[in-house]
Amino acid sequence: MTAWLLRRLAASVAIVFAVLTLTFVLIHLAPGTPFLPSTDDRSVGPEIIARLRRQYGLDRPLPVQYLKYIGSVAHGEFGESFSQHRPVAQALADAVPNTVLLGIAALVIEFTLGIALGAYQAARARRRVDAALSHLTLFFYSVPTFWLGLALLLVFGQWLRWLPVGGVSDPIVHDTLPWAGRVFDTLRHLVLPACTLGLVGAAGTARYQRAAMLEVIHQDYIRTARAKGLSERRVLLRHALRNAVLPVITLLGLSLPFLLTGAVLVETVFSWPGMGKLAADAIFSRDYPVVTAAAILAAAMVALSSVVADLLTALADPRVRLGDGDAA
Amino acid sequence: MRTRVVVGVLVAVVAAAACGRRVGCTGEYCGTLVIAAPGEPDILLPPASDDARAAAVFDQVFVKLADLGPSGNTIGDAGFVPELAEKWEWDNPRTLTFHLNAAARWHDGRPVRAEDVAFTFDVNTDPAVNSPARASLARVRRVTTRDSLTVVFHFSEAYPEMFYDAVHHLRILPAHLLRTVPRDQFRTAAIGRAPVGAGCYRFVEWRAGQSLELAADSTCFLGRPHIRRLVWRFTPDPTVAVTQLLAGEADVFEYLSPPDLERVRTAGDLVTYPYAGPYYTFLVFNLRTRGDTTLPHPLFADREIRRALTLATDRQQMVQSVFAGLAKVPPGPMPLLWATWDSTLRVLPFDSAAAGRLLGARGWRDHDGDGVRDKDGQKLGFELLTPTTSVIRRQYARLLQEQFRRVGVAVEITEVDNNVMTQRLETGNFDAALMSRIADPSPTSSVALVWLAGGGSNYSHYDNPVFAEAYARATGATTRQASMYGWRAVFQQLIDDAPGIWLYSQQSVAAMHRRVADVRLRPDAPYALARTWRIPPDRLIDRDRVERR
Repeated sequence: MTAWLLRRLAASVAIVFAVLTLTFVLIHLAPGTPFLPSTDDRSVGPEIIARLRRQYGLDRPLPVQYLKYIGSVAHGEFGESFSQHRPVAQALADAVPNTVLLGIAALVIEFTLGIALGAYQAARARRRVDAALSHLTLFFYSVPTFWLGLALLLVFGQWLRWLPVGGVSDPIVHDTLPWAGRVFDTLRHLVLPACTLGLVGAAGTARYQRAAMLEVIHQDYIRTARAKGLSERRVLLRHALRNAVLPVITLLGLSLPFLLTGAVLVETVFSWPGMGKLAADAIFSRDYPVVTAAAILAAAMVALSSVVADLLTALADPRVRLGDGDAA
Repeated sequence: MRTRVVVGVLVAVVAAAACGRRVGCTGEYCGTLVIAAPGEPDILLPPASDDARAAAVFDQVFVKLADLGPSGNTIGDAGFVPELAEKWEWDNPRTLTFHLNAAARWHDGRPVRAEDVAFTFDVNTDPAVNSPARASLARVRRVTTRDSLTVVFHFSEAYPEMFYDAVHHLRILPAHLLRTVPRDQFRTAAIGRAPVGAGCYRFVEWRAGQSLELAADSTCFLGRPHIRRLVWRFTPDPTVAVTQLLAGEADVFEYLSPPDLERVRTAGDLVTYPYAGPYYTFLVFNLRTRGDTTLPHPLFADREIRRALTLATDRQQMVQSVFAGLAKVPPGPMPLLWATWDSTLRVLPFDSAAAGRLLGARGWRDHDGDGVRDKDGQKLGFELLTPTTSVIRRQYARLLQEQFRRVGVAVEITEVDNNVMTQRLETGNFDAALMSRIADPSPTSSVALVWLAGGGSNYSHYDNPVFAEAYARATGATTRQASMYGWRAVFQQLIDDAPGIWLYSQQSVAAMHRRVADVRLRPDAPYALARTWRIPPDRLIDRDRVERR
């Protein structure tokens, strides 16, 4: 197990290094240049851009810049943001907690709702309720994330005024509240973006879960469990669901990259200052240090979540032995 | 049992959240204005930023010696309103003396002194700082102090906008806090994220990506602001920013698009404030060969081709179909903001038949009957560059493509992100592009930048000595009337030479909650007068009364 974990971690480091290298090269080779204004209605003189390029070492050959950057990253230095005029680490420190919070909330919604719906549909397979839920999940699975976000904003933010229209917290009252109030305020702001991301994912998970559950329900051991006189609820929840959930756990690791990419749009719609928005803005402004650091962090998060997913699979399925060949 | 505990905890949390607000402030000075902002400033240090979003904050935190008055006049000193300088006098035509208000204080309590003004001039003219004000201060030779409250500007020559140049671009900086900051590190100085100024609002907090808050300085020497908190909520998507406004979570949004204006008009508690916009958009022709600025462009070096394409453009119809009354066709390259807007200029009308005749006269005819004119085996066509981020310009690109098709010109539209577009413009790697400019209150710097030979944004490489002479006459005029006459000649020359097609100048419209009273918007800086706005006591809502911890 320890050897397996070390091997996986070493592989994760290699993946992160590869992502760093690719991102560094691609963003430097992409058309466009840093230090230009964010809109084309103002201009910066070429001599000023040349001076800034010198100041940040961008006038040096790419391999030299790359080696210097690797050296900095090895010392935990991600450089300084060209567009935000502050250390990249500071910009990431502001954005990462927001993305993690949103990602975890969305994952919780995606998997609890997805597994519950899938299991419920399988238990009532080929009945009207199953067909209705299938159509509903297909609808949510097909809906573009930003459209769903805007629709939820319109209904729950503008029309009903039940939930806030964007932001992480209320800028006026948040600091005046006691801790519990601040938690509640953050949760209120989290509901719509997390639901937007989570609902789309839950629709996909539900379809996986339904298929997996239907496969398990017809196994001999389920028939045996029923023959023993166990209640249908116990048969489904204790015997069928535990085995049917295994393939879905693998989905957990695969979901993270999609949560990160989907978060770009959701973060924009809900003014949620997370990593997705930070990276997208950095790409548009050719803020090389932020783009590369965000890619490193995203790769690290995805690689680690993949390891965690394998660990979870092993926990849920005693047949899986980590370290004996393939993990899952 | 476990369920009960969970429910109990939830109820406690909700109760704590509901009861936690400390509601206190009542009276005339309690307002909180929430501004839905479509973007975030880059840095809050005036010489280090040319960002319009940062400028809105600068207008509150920093002061100028004097500011533009309601007339918007930029010639001489007539109409300017005193700020840090309570009065000024001309010692001679090239020497201007300001007497500072002794009551002015930095937000850390220290008095504002003449040396701060001299230091500000020094910083803004230092090439290492690269201030956007540097070019405007080129004719100020030096700034000296006579005593702690008297500062003298020495100009190298006398010219009509010398007062405007001295005051409009200089936001006074605290020398005692910035003197130790190396000049080439101004852009990353810590004070740029927590500024200290002498304006009527002091900086409170900047939550990256979320919000920025200022608090009224009740002892402000310019008068106590009525609204005690200004909060910018950063909302990257303008549609969502308007939704915040409609949901009552924000009080003001300064720049409505035509579809958003329709949404706002249906809301009873919002008022719209139209004001002359600082933006104008045009199609710029590259007069030099694409990618090689030493050679003339095979098409657009020919003035008659440019004029023919202008004649082929039905600008009035495009403005009506795209903007529904929120923009005008400018007679030349000018925003609605400028006093030089002159409807009597001789413009090239929409006349596709004349356009066709002109192209035919230059040898461009449709010899093979494929609908596209050709000459010596070369098709008449070009690439039109437009940014992906502008929905309106993308729409315009398609409308122009269709209008040019009708006169036998093939246009290939290329949409690129802003960064790539700017890079291609800078390097001359384009045929034609849809450009937008935001202008200062005076045309002097904008026209020089975009149309004079050597101008930083003269992407067309337009270079006409007659135009340059007209420009020199206009900027050298000593009276308002002479200046207007001079600018008329400048713009007429541009219209006749047609280095671009002037497409639209937008009317800006802000939307604001009805509870905000005494609202006056200055077109060049909508929030410049926010310190005079107020929210009457009978219109206060919960968020106005909330006390900060």
